[in-house]
Amino acid sequence: MQDPIQGRADGSSPVSVHFVNNVLAAAASYIEEEPDTARDVLAELGAFLSHRLRGPRMVTTAEELEHVGVYLRLEQARFPGRLEVELPAARDLPQARIQPGEVQAPLSQAIERWLRQKPGRVRVALRARGDALDLQLDRPDEPGQAGERLRIALGVATARSTT
Amino acid sequence: MSSGLAILAVDDEPRALTDIKRLLETSASVERVATATSAKEALVYLSGGRYDALFLDVAMPEIEGMALARLLRRFADPPAVVFLTGHPDAAVEAFEVQALDFLVKPVTRERLESALTRVEQHVRGAEAAKSAPGGEGAEAMVTGPDVVAVDNPKGGGKRLVRLETISFAQANGDYARIVCDDGRFLLRTPLSQLEKDWGPSGFARVHRAYLVNLKHAVELRAQLNGTAVLIMRDDTEIPVARRNVAALRRRLHA
Repeated sequence: MQDPIQGRADGSSPVSVHFVNNVLAAAASYIEEEPDTARDVLAELGAFLSHRLRGPRMVTTAEELEHVGVYLRLEQARFPGRLEVELPAARDLPQARIQPGEVQAPLSQAIERWLRQKPGRVRVALRARGDALDLQLDRPDEPGQAGERLRIALGVATARSTT
Repeated sequence: MSSGLAILAVDDEPRALTDIKRLLETSASVERVATATSAKEALVYLSGGRYDALFLDVAMPEIEGMALARLLRRFADPPAVVFLTGHPDAAVEAFEVQALDFLVKPVTRERLESALTRVEQHVRGAEAAKSAPGGEGAEAMVTGPDVVAVDNPKGGGKRLVRLETISFAQANGDYARIVCDDGRFLLRTPLSQLEKDWGPSGFARVHRAYLVNLKHAVELRAQLNGTAVLIMRDDTEIPVARRNVAALRRRLHA
């Protein structure tokens, strides 16, 4: 089931209930076999939620990138061995103040949809391109197959909320 | 029941599957647990053995849980289906494919046990129906409704309300107003129909305009004119028609 992607009145992106519940289920599954992993998953989920649930504010692209990193580690905990991740270096990021979740929300929509539709591994590459970020999803085990591309423009939510 | 339940758990999320498997294995009512990571794999298990119930994730690649549940209904003797979901809204669809229950991940032990109790009741009902002469009356033996889909006043769509959380229903023309723990909802069903549907679940028509969940009633207070007032858990007072007072008193004292 898909969560709504429409932004809230303040322009920020809602957190997916489906995602949070599944991360908690994954954390529960690690408690006996790998208690340290369980603890890490909970700590990362705490960081994830803090970034999104703190009051309305703007964040740097570097902070948002860290948030994306946290999100991807949580997905790796849910689906061990299925995600390969490549993120840009913070110094290559465009300088901008953006809404929390402005990159993570569209990125997670694409990844969740991919994981729901296709079995096997997925390679997630996020690259800085001028004022935007390019997301590329591929199947590393089937190099011939077409992947998916998504351009995530930065500052769009900001521009919308100021007009 | 002579032996414990055989359960097949299906989820494409390996960690969620590990979690539910462990929970099921530690339950006293479960004898064996098999796991599958896709609907296809589940079908292979189902063709090779007998399972009392499937614990089925709603969102999976290729064949979704809901599609598998629909397919299962074509089986001659289908296993019960309990849905697992990360999203509470998925419950409405689960209700439509006549799932026995739906659990939102991560599941508490208590909630899992209540789902397993329903599976046991379902299995017992089906067995009794099979051994009974004629054997066809299975539906009535199996659990009655315990959730109802109501219009969601917020943002449209449907939401599910558990019968056990409903305090009472009040007639409102062809509609019924449902008062439950989560608030008030309108249901496009006349009270007379609800009385038939919910009667087996402990609801009683105490007044032309009121159908009451007796489990929520705390006191029957007689009035001087021969009628009575039923006091509910939340202090709501429901009028009881004169002709219903005696029967209601007997039922509450039974």
